[in-house]
Amino acid sequence: MHEKWRYKTFGFNAFINCSGGFDHLTKFEQMHSFKLLIFIASAAFSIALQGQDSLWISRGEWTDIPDSVQSIRFNSNPQWSGINSTLSRVPGESSTLFLINTDSISHTWGLQVEGEEEWELAAFDSLLIPIPAMAQGTYRFGLLDESGRVLGASGQLQVGLEGEYPLFHWNLGDWSMERMASADAGYPVDWDSPYVPEQFTINERTFPATVDDSDAFVALSLGDTCLISIANHGFMDHVFHFHGFHVTMMTSTHHPQRIGWSKDTVPIRMGEALTVRLIAYQVGLYPVHNHNLIAVTNAGFYPGGMITQIHVTP
Amino acid sequence: MREFRIFAAIFALIGATIGSAQMAPPQLFSGMEGYTFLPDGTAIPIWGYGWTADGFITLPGPLLEYTQDEFVQLNFTNPSPESHTIHLHGLDVDQANDGVPSTSFLVTTGGQTTYEFTANHPGTFLYHCHVTTTLHLTMGMYGMILVSRPDMTLFDGGPSYTENAPILFSDFAVETNMNPVQSFPFHDIRPDVFMVNGASGAQLEQSEHIIDFEPGQPIALRLGSMAYSLLQLNFPPELNAVCYMSDGRPVTEPFAVENLDIFPGERFTVLIEPDAGWDGYIGCEFWNIPDQQMDGEEYIRVRDASLSVYDWGVSDPLVGYPNPTSSTIEWDGPAALNVFNSGGRLVYNGPLRRGKLDIVDWPNGLYTAIFPDGKRSRFSVIH
Repeated sequence: MHEKWRYKTFGFNAFINCSGGFDHLTKFEQMHSFKLLIFIASAAFSIALQGQDSLWISRGEWTDIPDSVQSIRFNSNPQWSGINSTLSRVPGESSTLFLINTDSISHTWGLQVEGEEEWELAAFDSLLIPIPAMAQGTYRFGLLDESGRVLGASGQLQVGLEGEYPLFHWNLGDWSMERMASADAGYPVDWDSPYVPEQFTINERTFPATVDDSDAFVALSLGDTCLISIANHGFMDHVFHFHGFHVTMMTSTHHPQRIGWSKDTVPIRMGEALTVRLIAYQVGLYPVHNHNLIAVTNAGFYPGGMITQIHVTP
Repeated sequence: MREFRIFAAIFALIGATIGSAQMAPPQLFSGMEGYTFLPDGTAIPIWGYGWTADGFITLPGPLLEYTQDEFVQLNFTNPSPESHTIHLHGLDVDQANDGVPSTSFLVTTGGQTTYEFTANHPGTFLYHCHVTTTLHLTMGMYGMILVSRPDMTLFDGGPSYTENAPILFSDFAVETNMNPVQSFPFHDIRPDVFMVNGASGAQLEQSEHIIDFEPGQPIALRLGSMAYSLLQLNFPPELNAVCYMSDGRPVTEPFAVENLDIFPGERFTVLIEPDAGWDGYIGCEFWNIPDQQMDGEEYIRVRDASLSVYDWGVSDPLVGYPNPTSSTIEWDGPAALNVFNSGGRLVYNGPLRRGKLDIVDWPNGLYTAIFPDGKRSRFSVIH
C-alpha cells in the first residue's frame, strides 16, 4: 500500500454543526452529510489546483436494472450515476489520477496491469494515483476490496484509442442480487455457494436499454471502421457473438497470441480487457450478444442482459 | 416407330422428373416431438431440425455441407406448433437472412422460407434457431455447417487434408428438456448431459463416433460448440494436432495444440496426423462457466484404421499379427490372398507360404487383404 501521494482533503469536523437545513436527519446523518459536503468541496478545490482528471467513488441506488440495488461506482463528478466512468490516456506517457472516496468505508484501488500495486483509500479521503506509461489498448481498473468489487466499482482505461476511428466501449458485468445485498450490508460474501447471477449488463445496462446507450450501440455508416473496447468486470467468463461481421482482435490483456485473428465469436475472460476492430462492410441492423445464453436474460426473462446491436446505414 | 416415340416421351418425362428432383435444394424442417436417448436408454424429448425427405429430426441437426463460393438456397419449413428460424452462425449473411426474429423474420407454424447466401469463406460454421434462443438451443435446435474447398485445402494457401471429422459439442439439462414449459428462470439452466455429436458415455465407443485414421493422411477436426459449458479439449501429443483456423478464418500463426478451450458459439479447425498404430482419446471437459466447476467429461476415440477390423460390419474378419508390422504378417488358415493398398490398387495376388506374407519391401501404409473365402483383414506397414 502507498501513502505518499495522499492529499489531506478532509478534516473539517469543526464546521459540522453550522447548518440548519438538515432537520429531517438524525444527528449522525447530519454529521455524515456535512462531512461529505465539505469533503467534496475540498476535493473539487484540490482538483482545480491540480488540473487533472479525477474519479469519485460513490455509493448509491443503481436503477438501470430491473432490481434496483445499492452499488458503488466510479463517477466523473460528485453527482451519483449508476454508470461507471471511462478513462482515456495517451500511449507511452505516465500520468496521474485524482481519486476521491465519498463512501463511508475504506476501499482498495487497483489498475489491473501486471506489476501495478494496490492503493488503500480511507473513507472520505483522496489520493493522487500514478498511472504508468502504457501501450495502446484497453485495460481495467477497479476497487479490489470485496464490497467494491461485488458492488461494481470497475471501469476501463483506454490508451491511445481515441481519434482515428469511432470508439465504442462495453463494460461487461454479471450480478448476483444476493451477493450484492450481502456486500452492501457489510457482511462477508459466501464465495463457496454456487454462483447464479440473475442480471447481465453492458455498461451497467440490460437489453433493451443497451441500445439506447450510444457507447454500446454501434452506429456506423457503410464503409466505416470502428474500435470497440471490451472489459469483463464480472465474476465469470463471457463470450460475444457478432451477427453479420467478423472483427479483428487488436489488443488483449489475456490472449496476446490472438492479436490479428478474425473472429465472430470472441471470448472475454474474467478480468480480461481487449480491443476489436470492426469494418462496416454491409448495411443492416445486427445483434451482438453473449453466446452463453443464460446471459441474454434479465432475472431469467429472455431476451435481456448482454445484447446490443450494430446498425450500419448506407 | 410410334411405340418408340411413346417410350421416348415416357423416359424423357421420367428423366425430367428425376432431374428436377435432383436439382431441387434439400429442405430442412423443424420439429418439437423428437427424442434422444441417454446411454442408459432413457428417452429425452428434443426439438430440432431434420431433412424433410427423412421425416425425422436429429440431435444435432443434419450436417450442411457447401463448397466455397457456392450460392446457397436453404429451404426451411416449419410444421411445428411454435415459430422458429435458422440463424447461420458465423457466415455473416445479410440482415434479411440472419434468422433473428426482431431484425429478420419468424417462420411461423405452417410457414416456409428460403435462406440465401454465398459461402464466401471456407471453414466451420453453425446454425441454430434464434427464437427464445436460451430455450430452443438447450432443446436441441442446432447443427453444423461446413464450407470446403474442392482441392481439399483448408483455405487458399493452407494445408491439405484427406477427410473432415465434424465434431459438434453440446449439452442440455434433463429437467429442462423433460418440462420446457416450466424451465423459467433461464439463468438457472445448468446442463447435466454432455454430448459429442449428440452422443455421450458408452455411445461414443460405437463405430460411427470413432475417428479412424490412416497413417500419413491428415484429418481436419471441425470443432464447434453449441454447449452452455466451456469446452476444454486435451489432445495427446501422438495426435500431432495443429490448429489452423478459428471461426471460419485462418489464425495468424498455426500452433501446435495440446489444450484448447472452446466457448459457446466458437469454432476451431485442428489438423491431426496421428502416429501410426495409435489408439487413444481426445479428452473433452465440460466446465460450468459461472461456477468454474467441471460438470462432465466425454472422450473422442481416435484409432489407426488398421486396428478397426471388428468394426467393418464384415462378418468374421481375420486378424493378422503382428499389426502394425515391418517385416511379415501372419494369418491362421488361408493359403492365398489379394492385397490392396489404401488407394484401392491391387499390390499383391498370390499364395501365402506357411500363412506368412513378406512385406519388408512394401511402403508404409494401410492395406486390405481379401482371402479366397471372402474374409478380409486390414493391416498397417510401418518401417
